[in-house]
Amino acid sequence: MPQVKIIAKNFMDMVASLPAMKLDKLYENAFICEAILRSLPPLAKKYVLQMLYIDVPVPAKSMEEWVVADGFSKHKVAIDRLIQLRVLTEIVDRKKETTYKLNSTFQINLQKHIVYGWCLTQIDYRDDLLIGYCSGVLPREPMPSNITVRLPSLEDLEAYATEQWECFLLHLISSTQAERTTNFSSSMMKVFQRGLLSQRDKEAPRLTESGFQFLLMDTNAQLWYIIREYITNSEERGVDSANLISFLLELSFHVTGEAYNSNTLTDFQRNAIKDLADLGLVKLQQGRKESWFIPTKLATNLSISLSDSSSRKQGFVVVETNFRIYAYSTSKLHCEILRLFSRIEYQLPNLIVGAITKESLYDAFENGITAEQIISFLQQNAHPRVAERIPSVPENVTDQIRLWESDLNRIEMTPAHLYDEFPSRDVFEAACDFAREYGGMLWDDSKQMRLVVKADILMQMREFLRSQKQ
Amino acid sequence: MLLFLVIFDSVIADDVSLLMVLVDTNPFFWSTTNNALSFSKFLSHVLAFLNSTLLLNQLNQVVVIATGFNSCDYVYDSSSNSVAPNQRTERLLQKLEEFVIKDEQLSKEESADGIGSSLLSGSLSMALCYIQRVFRSGPLHPQPRILCLHGSPDGPQQYVAIMNAIFSAQRSMVPIDSCVIGAQHSAFLQQASYITGGVYLKPQQLDGLFQYLATVFATDLHSRNFLQLPKPVGVDFRASCFCHKNTIDMGYICSVCLSIFCKHHKKCSTCGSVFGQAQTNAPSTSKQKRKSPDT
Repeated sequence: MPQVKIIAKNFMDMVASLPAMKLDKLYENAFICEAILRSLPPLAKKYVLQMLYIDVPVPAKSMEEWVVADGFSKHKVAIDRLIQLRVLTEIVDRKKETTYKLNSTFQINLQKHIVYGWCLTQIDYRDDLLIGYCSGVLPREPMPSNITVRLPSLEDLEAYATEQWECFLLHLISSTQAERTTNFSSSMMKVFQRGLLSQRDKEAPRLTESGFQFLLMDTNAQLWYIIREYITNSEERGVDSANLISFLLELSFHVTGEAYNSNTLTDFQRNAIKDLADLGLVKLQQGRKESWFIPTKLATNLSISLSDSSSRKQGFVVVETNFRIYAYSTSKLHCEILRLFSRIEYQLPNLIVGAITKESLYDAFENGITAEQIISFLQQNAHPRVAERIPSVPENVTDQIRLWESDLNRIEMTPAHLYDEFPSRDVFEAACDFAREYGGMLWDDSKQMRLVVKADILMQMREFLRSQKQ
Repeated sequence: MLLFLVIFDSVIADDVSLLMVLVDTNPFFWSTTNNALSFSKFLSHVLAFLNSTLLLNQLNQVVVIATGFNSCDYVYDSSSNSVAPNQRTERLLQKLEEFVIKDEQLSKEESADGIGSSLLSGSLSMALCYIQRVFRSGPLHPQPRILCLHGSPDGPQQYVAIMNAIFSAQRSMVPIDSCVIGAQHSAFLQQASYITGGVYLKPQQLDGLFQYLATVFATDLHSRNFLQLPKPVGVDFRASCFCHKNTIDMGYICSVCLSIFCKHHKKCSTCGSVFGQAQTNAPSTSKQKRKSPDT
């Protein structure tokens, strides 16, 4: 039986699964409150805002009056999510009336954000406590530009992030191909590779089915997968996962491309940021005296749910109706990915040319990649020139890919049992009826009195035939 | 064997909004002593509301347009990168002050009697222009809506311009929400919200303005399908005549261009059609009445 594993869709699912104690502690950080609020379903956000300045518990009945009849299911989802994240506390009083109250730490933090969020200048900076709470917009001040020199432009930074990430991926799937090594320890890499690669004795590691699927996901989904492994593994490295989550969330509120002083980090954060630099989330730079880190787009997108389409990169693949693929890319990783399901014919400095063939697709299907995944990869990475066209991948190609896949699924195997040499037609017919009743009938031949039933109902059949004999 | 089930939201999250806030800065309205709410208090409510809108979604966008007595102007745009997030309030207040001073200089030339109306038609058009630009920016744009925070009485002389703006908003499916903070209901805004499917509300307790704003006007277009929002009670559909800008119950309408007049005219001032006698006369003259314009 295939083991189905649902990936926590984003950060918030992971946050929601934290124990109550840790969750309450997380809410002391204003950024986490903000990130949590933004991750909620629209209706839930609305409720939080509406209840922000209500200090008494709100009866469940009056909340139900806020929605129209059609919206009741959405209302339920919103309330459940709020309770799951411990933003709302459910109180049942003596009269068995349910009331809801906002988590007070959460409430105070958001109130402060709304009131002071904009007017930092009016707050006395000498008061440390106030800074802690009220710097609601930026977690830390960027460094002045006269100290930091050689700051990369936004394009350079994005190129850096992509390069770093692809290097990591290449390292992940085949450590021999990567030109540079990452400073992740090999045990850390093993953790990341778990589930993606399988290694038999003395053989080179092979990508597993889920490893192939991983490569076809978009960057944000891949990043999230790695970060999730990184967080779940953190306890083993002696790092508190709640601390790590709150640091990652905080990081996502920094401004892309600004430099932040590394002195502001705690020891644990300084260690973590080195790992994050390897993933391309931040760029580390060293000045004459100070050192600083610059968050990239990958970091600031972390707290947004996976599929924020605005963060999607430009595509590079053109598929023609004659099944040829032109990929305008210099990346080795892209080449490796295309090789998963197509035959690479030749490679120019900035162009990879290949063809989708029946053989290459059969290899892909054998490795557990589905036609839908290939098609969606081609569509998501379509070159801007063809992306405007509908469909961006020619219909005959997508149809053929699906057909070739269904070719492989033409035969369905079911364990079964064959019965023949029935003593009489009556017994045969009774047996047929019995099998039909149990939904286990696969095939019957009434002339020669032969019958095939599913293996599942073997026991019942045996019982039945025995009773028929008597 | 491991199977991954990654659930994708295929489109951009459906509660991303572009909120155009039109703030009434008419000094004649704010200086009236019977206001329950001072301008500074009003601003603090509005700033908190803008803050909370930006808090709800990182892709949310807020644009503030000041509706003055003689002019109107953009005073804040959250999408412009030039403003650091922690200087927003400063910038907004500074721009607003500059605007009010400029607006005052313009008004010295003519003297107004009583509370004049502010230039709602101008700021509505500016908001719609901005929205059109957003629409053309690409397939993934936030869902726009307009919120009028209005206190000054209606200016009948703006009737045609405002109605045109309303119909253009209706065509581009942009709801106009109105929050009336003045003493009287606004017939223009009632019609605007009614026609465009927005919400019209005249808060009873003005010192709790933020709660009204957060409860009613912070609702994104997606959630409006599921929430109970204030329903229009009665809408004043009366029109203003084109000749004297009076609000009238009954009047004359040009059969060619539908212009409205309070008195019978010989010729339509808008399209130039020549009218016959008024309807009270004998029906024999009706043929003359349909005469088409020469142009």
